[in-house]
Amino acid sequence: MPANKDGDGGWKSFLWNSEKKEFLGRTGCSWLKIFIFYVIFYGCLAGIFIGTIQAMLLTLSNYKPTYQDRVAPPGLSHTPRSEKAEISYSLSDEDTYRFLTKAMKELLEPYSEEKQTDENQFEDCGENPAIYKNRGELESDMGKRKACRFKKSWLGACSGEDPHFGFKDGKPCILVKLNRIVNFRPKAPANTSLPVNLQGKVQANLIPIHCSSKKEEDAGKIGEIKYHGMGSGFPLQYYPYYGKLLHPQYLQPLVAVQFVNITQNTDLRIECKVYGENIDYSEKDRYQGRFDLKLYVKS
Amino acid sequence: MRYSTSITKGLSSTFAQEVLERDGPNELKPPKGTPEYVKFARQLAGGLQCLMWVAAVICFIAFGIEISKGEISGYDDLYLAITLIAVVVVTGCFGYYQEFKSTNIIASFKNLVPQSSNSFDFLLRKSLFERNASSLKSEATTGRAPPAFWSSIVCECMFPCKELEKETLQSVYFPPLQVCLSLTAKRLARKNCVVKNLEAVETLGSTSVLCSDKTGTLTQNRMTVAHLWFDNMIHAADTTEDQSGQSFDQSSETWRALGRVASLCNRAVFKPNQETVPIPKRIVVGDASETALLKFTELTIGNIIDYRGRFKKICEVPFNSTNKFQLSIHELEDPLDLRYLLVMKGAPERILERCSTILIKGQELPLDEQWKEAFQTAYMDLGGLGERVLGFCHIYLNEKEFPRGYTFDTDEMNFTTSGLCFAGLISMIDPPRATVPDAVMKCRTAGIRVVMVTGDHPITARAIAANVGIISEGSETVEDIATRLRIPVEQVKKSDARACVINGGQLKDMTSDELDDALRNHPEMVFARTSPQQKLIIVESCQRLGSIVAVTGDGVNDSPALKKADIGIAMGIAGSDAAKNAADMILLDDNFASIVTGVEQGRLIFDNLKKSIAYTLTKNIPELTPYLIYITVSVPLPLGCITILFIELATDIFPSVSLAYEKAESDIMHLKPRNPRRDRLVNEALAVYSYFQIGAIQSFAGFTDYFTAMAQEGWFPLLCVGLRSQWEDVRLQDLQDSYGQEWTYSQRLYQEYTCYTVFFVSIEVCQIADVLIRKTRRLSAFQQGFFRNKVLVSAIVFQLCLGNLLCYCPGMPNIFNFMPIRVQWWFVPLPYGILIFVYDEIRKLAVRRHPGSKYHT
Repeated sequence: MPANKDGDGGWKSFLWNSEKKEFLGRTGCSWLKIFIFYVIFYGCLAGIFIGTIQAMLLTLSNYKPTYQDRVAPPGLSHTPRSEKAEISYSLSDEDTYRFLTKAMKELLEPYSEEKQTDENQFEDCGENPAIYKNRGELESDMGKRKACRFKKSWLGACSGEDPHFGFKDGKPCILVKLNRIVNFRPKAPANTSLPVNLQGKVQANLIPIHCSSKKEEDAGKIGEIKYHGMGSGFPLQYYPYYGKLLHPQYLQPLVAVQFVNITQNTDLRIECKVYGENIDYSEKDRYQGRFDLKLYVKS
Repeated sequence: MRYSTSITKGLSSTFAQEVLERDGPNELKPPKGTPEYVKFARQLAGGLQCLMWVAAVICFIAFGIEISKGEISGYDDLYLAITLIAVVVVTGCFGYYQEFKSTNIIASFKNLVPQSSNSFDFLLRKSLFERNASSLKSEATTGRAPPAFWSSIVCECMFPCKELEKETLQSVYFPPLQVCLSLTAKRLARKNCVVKNLEAVETLGSTSVLCSDKTGTLTQNRMTVAHLWFDNMIHAADTTEDQSGQSFDQSSETWRALGRVASLCNRAVFKPNQETVPIPKRIVVGDASETALLKFTELTIGNIIDYRGRFKKICEVPFNSTNKFQLSIHELEDPLDLRYLLVMKGAPERILERCSTILIKGQELPLDEQWKEAFQTAYMDLGGLGERVLGFCHIYLNEKEFPRGYTFDTDEMNFTTSGLCFAGLISMIDPPRATVPDAVMKCRTAGIRVVMVTGDHPITARAIAANVGIISEGSETVEDIATRLRIPVEQVKKSDARACVINGGQLKDMTSDELDDALRNHPEMVFARTSPQQKLIIVESCQRLGSIVAVTGDGVNDSPALKKADIGIAMGIAGSDAAKNAADMILLDDNFASIVTGVEQGRLIFDNLKKSIAYTLTKNIPELTPYLIYITVSVPLPLGCITILFIELATDIFPSVSLAYEKAESDIMHLKPRNPRRDRLVNEALAVYSYFQIGAIQSFAGFTDYFTAMAQEGWFPLLCVGLRSQWEDVRLQDLQDSYGQEWTYSQRLYQEYTCYTVFFVSIEVCQIADVLIRKTRRLSAFQQGFFRNKVLVSAIVFQLCLGNLLCYCPGMPNIFNFMPIRVQWWFVPLPYGILIFVYDEIRKLAVRRHPGSKYHT
C-alpha cells in the first residue's frame, strides 16, 4: 500500500531517495544517530554482560569445581576409541589398525620413564595397591602437588614394547582408564558386590575391572582376557586427583585389557565394568562405570 | 438483453416464476453448521500442526526401526512423538474452544441480522469480510514481521464460502487475536453494539470521521415539547428522556387555558393497557406533534382521557394543509355553564390572524401591535432554535347564538372562527439524547470529527448540532460572520468560519473538489436536507481526504453509503433489513453514545493486540541468538528445539492471551485516531524495539545464565568457545573441562540439557518482565497497577508453575530435555528482567513527556 502512495518505483526510491538524500527511508544523519545509539546500547549491555560474567567467575575457585553432580560418578573410557561402539580390524592389513595403535601410543607418551624422572613432580607410590595418597586440602596454599609414577612396564604386553599392541598377532590390547574427577576418591568394592569369578581374588585398595561377554552364547568365543596394570585394576593411591592446575603431571592409572585368544571373524560384544562402592552405572550413559564394545578381528 | 430483462419493466412475471422455481427464492439460507468434529479436525490440521504431525510420525518410524532391530536403546523417540501429538492436541483443544466461543457470539448475533437479502448485497458483504481479513493479514506481512511470526498468525488459507464470519476468524490463527475479538464483541454486545464481523471493531478504533444521522441517533426520535410561550415569556419544558429535568411555573391562569386547548384539541390517544409504562415510553396513536402534546399534557395536567371526558367533544375539524389549523368544540366541565368552548391550534401566524385578544396572566387583553410584535419575537426565537411551533387559541361561544343542541356543521363552518383569544405558543423538537453531548465531547477529545448528515431542515439541524456540541459554542458559519460584520457572504474568509451548514440543494451543485475544500476548511460540518445518495458522496469525499469513516444509516437507501464507509453502522430499532445487512455493526439502542463506546473498544483491542504481538515478537530473539552463537562461536548449544517449542506453545501463550484482558489506559480517548497507514499493528518501531532492544536484553540474560551454569559445572566461558565439535563428538568419552575432569558424552548431553533449561528459565523470567512492561504503551506500569488484571497475574503464576513442573517433574530430562536446575539459576536473569522493566519505564516516561515522538512503538 505505501508503495502506491509513493508512486511508481517506490521500491527504488525507498532504497535511495536522491531527492531527500534518504537511504532506506532515512537520511545519513538519522542512520548515524541510530548507529551511535545502538553502539552505546549494545556497548552498555555487553559491559553489563561481561561484568556479570567476571563477577560470577570471581566466585569460582580455580581448583575446586563448584558442582560435580554432572560429572560424577566417573565414566570409564578406553583407548583406542570405538566407532559406534565397535572396533574392527583385519590381521592381514596394517592400515586397518594403524590409527588404533597410534592413539594408544599417544596415550602412553606421558607414561614413559624419562618423562617421570623429575623428583619434584613425581614420587613412587609403591608397586602394590595402597590407600589414597593424601596431598593436602584442595584449596590450601601448598601449590602444585606431586604425582604418583606409573610404570609403563606394568602394562606388560600392552606397554608399547610391541608397537602393534598385539593387534598384529590377533591378541589386541585396549587401554582403559577411569575418568578423572577432581577430589574424587573411588571406594573399593565390598566383596559381595563383585561378580562370581572375581570374588575373593581382588586385592585391597583396588578398583577392579572385569570384562565379559555381553551375550551368553559368546562366552566361550572371547577366550582368555588378561588385565595388565598394577593389581589388574585402578589402585587407590593414585587418587584423589587435584585438578589441572595443582596436578599438571598427574598420571591416571591404566589397565590394559588384552584378548589373548579371541575368536576371529566373529562379532563379539564385550562389556567391561569397574566395581566400587561409589561407582555407578546408568541406563542412559553407557560409559558410566562400564562400557561395551563390539570387537571384530578379521583373519 | 444479457439477463433477459429490461431496465424499465424488469423480468416478465412468467420468467421470474420460472427462475423462482428453478433457483428458489433469492435469499441467503441459514448456513449449514459445520459438524463439530470437522471444526476440531481443522484445528489439528493447521500449517504448524501438520509439521508437528510429520515430525511425530518420523519419531514413531524411528522408534519402530529400533524395535525391529531388537535393540531398544531408549524411549526418547516415543516420548518425543507423544509430546508432539500432545502439544498439537492441546493447542487444538484451545483453538477449538476459542472458536467455539466466538462462533457462539456470532451465532447469537445471527438472530438480529436478517437472513434474506439480495445477491448483490451478499457479494458486497462477502468482499467486505474478505477485505477486512486480508487487511489484517497484510498488516502482519507488511509489518515486516519475521516469517515465524507470520506463519503462526496466518496459517490457513481463505475460503470464500458461505460461512463468512467463521471463516474469517479461522483464517487468522493467533490465540490472543481470537480472545481479543471475542472479548470485545461480548463487551460491546453488553453496551448494545452488535458487531457482525469482529475485525470491524479494530477498524472502528481508527475512525477519524463519524458521519451520523440526526434523527434517532443523536436525538431521541420522538417529538417532545421543548418550549412554551405565554404571558409574554418563554418557558422551557423538560425534554429529558426520563423526565428528570426541571419543569416550568404552572401557576398562571394562562397556562391553564393553554393546557386545556392543548389537551382538548388533540386527536392522539394512548394505546390501551399501558398504565404501568412510564408516560414518555407509552405508545400513542397519532402524529408526531400530537403525540408530543399528548404526552406533555399527560405529564403536566394528569389523566387526559379522563380530562377529555369531562369536556365532551361536539365536533372537530382535523388539520389540513390549506387551513393549517385544527379545531374542536366542547361542552364545558361545569354542567351549569351552557356555553360551548371552541379550541384551535395550528400554524402560529394563521392562528394569530384569527385572534383579536390575547390572554395575559388570565386577563383577556386586546391584541394590539405591541403584543403582535412580542408574538413575532417569540415565534422567531423558537423557530431559530429549530423547533416546530404551534399556536393555540380558544373562545367561549356565545350562549345565545349557539345554544345547546346547536348543529355545528364542520364543512360550512357555521360558527365563529375569528376574533378568538390567543392562549400561547408551544414549540416541539426531537431533543438530543442525554448522553450525546458527552459522547460528542468524547469524540472531540479523541480527535474524531463528528459530521451530521440529516434530511431535516437546516435550522433544526443546526440547532441540534449546536445543542449536542457538533457545532461548538462560539463557532460561526460563513453566513453568521457575514451578518455580524454586515458584509456580503462572498467577502468572508472561509477559513474564519469553523462551522458550516450545507443543504442538499447546495451539495448537488458542488463539485467533488469544492466538497473536499469545504470538508477541509470547516472542522464542524452539518449537512441538512440531504438524500441518502448524497450521504455516499460525503463519505467518499471524507475518504479522499484520508479519513477512516464510520457512517450510520437506517434506510434501504443508506446501504451504498454503509458499504462504502470503512465502518457501516446500522440502527437496530429504526434500521431496515437492507441497512443491517450492509452494515458492519448494529446499534441495538440506536444510540450515538454506543458508537463512541465502540470506538473506545476498538482502540482498546488494537492496543491490546499490539501488546500481545509485541510480547510474542520479543522472545523470538532470545530463541534465535543461541543458535546464531552456536553456529558462529561454536559453543555447546544453549537452547534446544523442544525447549523453544515449549516456550512458543505452552508457557508463553497464557500471558500473551491475558494481555487481551488489559483495561484501557486511562487516556485512551484523549489521543488522535491512529493513522492506519503509518500506525499498523506491527510497525517498524515496534518490531525494532522488541527485537533489537528488549529481545537483545533477554538474549544477554539467557547467555549470562548459560555461562553461569556452564562455569559452575566446570566449563569456563573461554573454554566453551570453539568447543562444539568436540562437545558433540559421540566417540569422545573423556573430554576435559576447565578443571581437567573428564566427561563422557552422556554427561555432556545432560549438561547441555541443563543449559537448555537455564536458558528457558531466563527467557521465562525476562518474559515476565516483558509482559509487565507490555501492560501499558504509554502509562507507567505503576499508574496502571500490577494486580488489576487478574487474568494476567494468574497467567504469570501459571507460567511459573508450568516452568517449575517442566524443570522438576521426574522423568523430564529424558522426555523433554528439561533438567532439575539449581535454584540460584532462576535468579541469574532477574537483574536483566529489572533492567528491561526500568529501561521501558524510562522510555514510557519519554513517550509521556514528548507525545508522538519516535520513542512510541
